[in-house]
Amino acid sequence: MKKQIAIVEDEPALRENYAAALARHGYSIKTYGNRRTAMQAFKTRCPDLAIIDISLEDEAEGGFDLCRDLRALSAELPIIFLTARDSELDAVSGLRLGADDFLTKDVSLPHLAARVAALFRRIDALRRPDNAAEIVRRGALSIDGEKMQTTWDGVPVTLSLTEFWIVHALAKNPGHVKNRQQLMDAANVVLDDNTITSHIKRVRRKFQQVDAAFDAIQTVYGMGYRWVE
Amino acid sequence: MSIRLQLLMVALTTLVLPWAGCQYARELETALRSSQEQSLLASAGTIANALSAQPQRVFHDAGDTQAFSAGAGDLYVYPLVTQPLLDGYREDWDVPAEPTALPTTTGYRARLQAGSTEGFLYLFIEVRDSHFDAEPNNVRPDTDRFDRVNLALDGPNGRETYFFGTDAPGLIAAQSVVRGEDGVDRVAAEPRIQAFWLQAAAGYQLEARIPLSFVGRHLWVEALDGRGKGRAGFAADSAAGGRLFFATAGLDSLLETFIGDGTLATVIDANALKLGSAGSVVSKTRAETESSEPIWYRYFLDVDTSEMPILSMAPDHLSGESVGSALVGHPHAQWVRGDNRGEILLMAAAPIMIDGHLHGAVVLQQAADQLLALRDRALSRLFNLTLIATAAAVIIMFTFATWLSLRIGRLRDAAESAVGSDGRIQLTMPESASADEIGSLSRGFERLLARLNEHAQYLRTLGGKLSHELRTPLTIVRSSLDNLESEGLRDDQRRYITRAREGTQRLQSILSALGAAARVEESIKQSERVNFDLRELMICAVAAYRDGFPAAHFALQTPEDACFARGAPDLIVQLLDKLIENAVDFCPKEGTVTVRLERVQASYCLQVANDGPLIPEALMGRLFESLFEQRRGGDDKPHFGLGLYIVRLIAEFHGGTAVAANRDDDSGVVFTIMLPLI
Repeated sequence: MKKQIAIVEDEPALRENYAAALARHGYSIKTYGNRRTAMQAFKTRCPDLAIIDISLEDEAEGGFDLCRDLRALSAELPIIFLTARDSELDAVSGLRLGADDFLTKDVSLPHLAARVAALFRRIDALRRPDNAAEIVRRGALSIDGEKMQTTWDGVPVTLSLTEFWIVHALAKNPGHVKNRQQLMDAANVVLDDNTITSHIKRVRRKFQQVDAAFDAIQTVYGMGYRWVE
Repeated sequence: MSIRLQLLMVALTTLVLPWAGCQYARELETALRSSQEQSLLASAGTIANALSAQPQRVFHDAGDTQAFSAGAGDLYVYPLVTQPLLDGYREDWDVPAEPTALPTTTGYRARLQAGSTEGFLYLFIEVRDSHFDAEPNNVRPDTDRFDRVNLALDGPNGRETYFFGTDAPGLIAAQSVVRGEDGVDRVAAEPRIQAFWLQAAAGYQLEARIPLSFVGRHLWVEALDGRGKGRAGFAADSAAGGRLFFATAGLDSLLETFIGDGTLATVIDANALKLGSAGSVVSKTRAETESSEPIWYRYFLDVDTSEMPILSMAPDHLSGESVGSALVGHPHAQWVRGDNRGEILLMAAAPIMIDGHLHGAVVLQQAADQLLALRDRALSRLFNLTLIATAAAVIIMFTFATWLSLRIGRLRDAAESAVGSDGRIQLTMPESASADEIGSLSRGFERLLARLNEHAQYLRTLGGKLSHELRTPLTIVRSSLDNLESEGLRDDQRRYITRAREGTQRLQSILSALGAAARVEESIKQSERVNFDLRELMICAVAAYRDGFPAAHFALQTPEDACFARGAPDLIVQLLDKLIENAVDFCPKEGTVTVRLERVQASYCLQVANDGPLIPEALMGRLFESLFEQRRGGDDKPHFGLGLYIVRLIAEFHGGTAVAANRDDDSGVVFTIMLPLI
């Protein structure tokens, strides 16, 4: 059975483009122009994944509300924010509401498709028994590439998809400096330098919430970041 | 010219007050002069009238109206104040005039002067005769030749003749030839007529004293040389003879009763000869009490006196326009200059008419000093008052102008610094609460600044807004291209797609740059400050730049020990990125980009310098403004002038400053960032 993806986007041209691209990847697509119609439909049938814009028609933050309501319906449902708003604050708010990823509209369709696929893979992996082969361990860190789960000293660290891929790229080759472009490629995003910086900052903070002494991601000025054990 | 100076000049126009005062004082003086003329003329007229009522007290011989003629031997008899000593000298006569020369046809020179006291007529005869011829014993005056002076007097008993001669100089008596009862002429001494014969190298001087009872209307004097034919004077038998013109005895004291202090009164006869005088132009009381110290501003207002005639001070007669006018019957007053120290005198003359005939004149002289004193008193007050007023006006004007220019200066300073170097606009101006024009100017500035601020605000947010608003349509284009690509395209179609994609890519980077400032501002707000080693950061960063810009040469100079600073290292790296990008853009191929870090007092001085074109002077202060880009780099990348703006934002976030300058030797430019230690 085809996976069903809901796209909530008030810009019709964009909505149709996303729908067409994802449909080509074999998903069944439902599109909605505003929060009300989307929510009505979700109550009848919950999609397998939701892509939501933040500002919806007359509601500037309608996407946030929708995310909150959706999360209330289903705890596991993957939610991606796809928005023209690129402020740090929006990203933090969106992720805090339980979104799995926060993308700006700069993302290309193949990238978007890759993310969608990744999120579905994670869902599938979560339902399968552990596959030790996909697990990367670096000291206290262990990364499950299949389930896209990260733990530090056994404690799960909740990362967004982008953050997960950044950590994954760094930890795979400890000691190697990854510049920003490499990190962007790994995360399947096109971001500017500042956004990478704030992603790194957020990742560090998340690990520090688990272990205050966390210091494994090191800045190499002018070049990028590296993972140190 | 500053307002202060302008108002000061305006204030100086109040100097017209003292000038007007001067004009007024001049008019006052003119009025005073004319009133003094009138009053002195009236006094002269009164005295003349009084004197004409008692001509016998004024004129010696009121009936004699024949004019005085020195050529005919007429002689003015000077009134002598004291009895002179009979010694052959006339110095004790105290007469300031020289004797008059006697007429001569032979070149024999003699001079004569006459004076009188109450009882005697004095004669002084000075003869130029280098050889003394003594009088022989038993002289026969008709035939003997010796130096002699003949004297003939119109005595009460007819004409008497005498002669003076001596065998030895000294006190002598006059001699006369007396026809005895025997009919023989003999020489007899007349002891009542005494004389002193003083022999000198050039001649002799004879001072003779004759009782007034011997003296009549006429007098003949003749000097004869003892050898040769020298003679001078009037022979006793000549008809002409000299008339004697005496001053009138007692007239002085009579005049004294008419005049007041500071006035000189003189009575002259129709020949302008002095008959008597009293008083003095110098006031006795004033001369003592008033200092004659000149008051400086007299200099500005002295009436021009150079055209006034100079008073001629002959001891025996008076002259001048007013005297002449009075002696033809018209009272007249005139200002004259005294002969000493330029004093100004008023001279008023009134004729003395007796029975309709002119007999003489009264001449009054008065100093103008009294006028001056009056004028000076008035002027002093006027001057002082107007000067104080002027000074006050100048001071007030100056203070006011200073205050005014201070306010305007404050406004100007505020206007100049209203738009700060960081582009922030100061919206409030000083003086805007004032109700006057400066206040309204200030309010006008405020309105202007408010609008400017709105505009600047709009410009500042324009980039972010544009990038936000354009993002959605751009995404539509790109996602459409993505879709189109996955439809499976021919190669030629794919080529166009690729071009369209490149276009959207460029558009994307432009939008990204436009929004960069806003994003940096936001990320600065959220930055956390940590302690970090600036030196290590720079070493790492420069190493990275060497990789990133393989074509450029980098030189790095840092202190040897760690340089700890507090701030956001990511931002510092970003700052360095921008400066290095900028430096590499402008640095020529063979040039060097020099990065330097050093401690300067309480700051770190971070410099990025490059060889290459200089920054034009006009751009120097504006380089760090948002969206300001005048310099063209060597590549085709879009420049939105945000790089240096971001540098400034980051420097200011760290409490530092960013400055651009050309190198002293004009070989390139230096960007200097000062960051405080910790």
